[in-house]
Amino acid sequence: MRIAALVLVVCACGAPDRDPRWRGAGAKTPRRGGTLHVATNDQIKSLDPTFANDEVSTYAAQPLFATLVTYAPTSAELVPDLAERWELDADGVTYRFHLRDKLVYADGTPIVAGDFKYSLERALRAADSPFYPYLVDVVGAGDVIQGRATDCAGIVAISERELQIRLVRPSPSFVFILTMKFATPQRAEWVAQWGDQLRRHPLASGPFIRGDWDEGTKISFVRNTHYWDPSQPYLDRIEMLENIPRDTQFLMFERGELDTAERLSAPDYVWIVGQPAWQPYLHQTALMRVFGARMNVTKWPFKDVRVRRALNYALDKSHTVKLLNNAAVPSHGMLPPGMLGRDDGLVPYPHDPATARKLLAEAGVPPGTELTYVTQNDEQGETLAASLKGDLEDVGLIVNVQLVSFATLSTISGSVDGPDFSITSWVGDYPDPTNFLDVRFHSRAIADENATNDTRYSNPELDTLLDAARGELDPAKRTAMYKRAERILYDDAPWIYDYHPVTTEVTQPYVRGFELHPIWVRDYTHTWLDLDANGERIPR
Amino acid sequence: MISAVSRRILAHRGAVVGMVLILVLVGIAVIGPHVVARSPTARDIDHGLSAMGAPLGPSADALLGTDTLGRDVWSRVVSGAGASLTIATLGTLLALLIGLAVGLVAGYAGGWVDGALMRVVDLVLSFPFLLLAILLAALLREADLASSTAPVILTLGAVSWTTMARVIRGKAMSIARAEHVVAARALGASPMRIMLRHILPNVAGVVVVVAVLGFAQNLLAEAALSYLGLGPAPPAPTWGRMLYEGRPYYRTSPHLVLAPGIAILLAVVAFNLVGEGLRDMFDPKERA
Repeated sequence: MRIAALVLVVCACGAPDRDPRWRGAGAKTPRRGGTLHVATNDQIKSLDPTFANDEVSTYAAQPLFATLVTYAPTSAELVPDLAERWELDADGVTYRFHLRDKLVYADGTPIVAGDFKYSLERALRAADSPFYPYLVDVVGAGDVIQGRATDCAGIVAISERELQIRLVRPSPSFVFILTMKFATPQRAEWVAQWGDQLRRHPLASGPFIRGDWDEGTKISFVRNTHYWDPSQPYLDRIEMLENIPRDTQFLMFERGELDTAERLSAPDYVWIVGQPAWQPYLHQTALMRVFGARMNVTKWPFKDVRVRRALNYALDKSHTVKLLNNAAVPSHGMLPPGMLGRDDGLVPYPHDPATARKLLAEAGVPPGTELTYVTQNDEQGETLAASLKGDLEDVGLIVNVQLVSFATLSTISGSVDGPDFSITSWVGDYPDPTNFLDVRFHSRAIADENATNDTRYSNPELDTLLDAARGELDPAKRTAMYKRAERILYDDAPWIYDYHPVTTEVTQPYVRGFELHPIWVRDYTHTWLDLDANGERIPR
Repeated sequence: MISAVSRRILAHRGAVVGMVLILVLVGIAVIGPHVVARSPTARDIDHGLSAMGAPLGPSADALLGTDTLGRDVWSRVVSGAGASLTIATLGTLLALLIGLAVGLVAGYAGGWVDGALMRVVDLVLSFPFLLLAILLAALLREADLASSTAPVILTLGAVSWTTMARVIRGKAMSIARAEHVVAARALGASPMRIMLRHILPNVAGVVVVVAVLGFAQNLLAEAALSYLGLGPAPPAPTWGRMLYEGRPYYRTSPHLVLAPGIAILLAVVAFNLVGEGLRDMFDPKERA
């Protein structure tokens, strides 16, 4: 009897109702007000736009800083932000940005064209800013970087409402750079006033201002009543918890303590994808990122293109995708889906161990050859390395996996004495092939230390093509050039191309107007809460 | 004598259950790895995972299901039995060696020797067990020992000898005053000879009891260290490591934590039952 009761209790606990606990009120138009509760699994390092560069700090910068131009709510299309319009002169190198009327910061002081100039020059002058390399095409940028000038000749505030930027050569991707948060306007007096405390005291121009910030624990964002678009944002407040592991986030989400759960952990993801009731509230996007394995093409055996192709044939990408719970797209090259210049006609290398063995034999690589593969010492790194090891063993190669931290890996990969074969990835800053191909495969990016072209792949044909494409103003011609570049890199295979990750977040049913952005990932500018008349959640 | 002991222990029902369990466990640990169909480290991404890449539940193909890499959980539990029992055995032996030496010397010598040795025991005991174990395990891992199990064994030995030393010392102290010991001393026997020939045989019962109970503790401690990532290096499975790897899946694939969890539970219960049986046998007065 007692056992029967116990069994009953266990069964009752075993299947709790895990469907959504609330529902939306069903409003047709966005409702203003309310607080959105979110979390991140890391902590915010800085709110100084000239320096904030890591993923979580970027999440925090997103609601605070507006820029001249920005992306449309759910795509990488450029739309006006603080500039109501912009044009490119007939010379192909002079951009003119026209600011909206009566722009002000959160403290009510006006935003003028000179503030953009100041902000860009601040990035150029700061030796430790990660952003100055993005501005090297601007006339006079080199002089400021090297300290020969404080004034960047190519950036001119024509009037309070007109900013002119001149480049040394045409660069169709330049406007994308101005969407990055380091290009937000900053006021010189504010920067001087806060000094090294600027990382805590942002002067907001975006839809929200910083509220309380208990560093490492919680930050809040409060509606900026001076934001240029009076209809935005809809939320009164965002509360963002820091340092909450993803599985904990999901538990808090299920209890209703969070309104979204970011990038679900594997078990939670697998579970929720199978729940019909949750499907409408899952948000997915393919990230502008790529993962693979880089090879040093100057070292044996990787200097033989047949070996590099063989390894591409040997890797079973369907295993990668499965181990990532199908949240990945196999890749044929570096450019992620949807990017200009990506050749969708190229099919990822198929899993073909027979061809791989044949190519290895032709290249004179005997079975039993040992390779050392360096990867990241986290669960995913170990899992995928184990899979790669197994696949290469199937074609007769012996792989010794070496695990190192992410920080170590990024330092040693770019060194001339670094590992010949290691995991690699690239996170795009802006949706343009220059940010991928020039950085990783142009011979200019080869250096003894900190090389971003860490395969040391050098091909004059590709260099010429990339240089021409970089300044080509005709989108059709430019696309064709990058497709050609993709083909070359596919055939020469300096990487084992693996996958582009897909990310998933889940929201409570009453969270509306929230879609994952391909570049920002998280953007709450257009988010609103579909609550009842009293601002309460409605139980389902 | 032998039959009297076996009769007494066989009369203790818990001890019998415990011994049967231990026999089964040891059998599994010894024979198991040779009869399981699949290697505990063989990944099977094609068939060992669901279409979504999730671990599979128990089925005819995989008795206890598969883990996140499509490995067979049953072969891992079996192979983990060997690893866990070996580590706990060697750790306990090491603890016993230290505990016996310290306990006998302190109990026999008494006086300032006893005082000094017991203060060392107090010092070690004053650290929370897990903290000390984590510290030692982390330091020993840095030491680059040849085997990744050696640091775990050394850690277990180094933190679990104290209880044994205390119990043995107490017993040795009372025996040191017994007539036959006094007589041996009067006849000019060396302290070493007295300790080994006259005291040790008389504390043997206590030693067996503390060793068996300590073994159960060490099984748990090994699991805890492995769970914290301080156990033997993967992919070699231990139960604690399996618990750790399965933890994120406790809601969706509970077999990943239930399998090693129940194995740990059964092993610890078995050794505790036998330990209690032995204690009752050697010390009938304490029997309720």
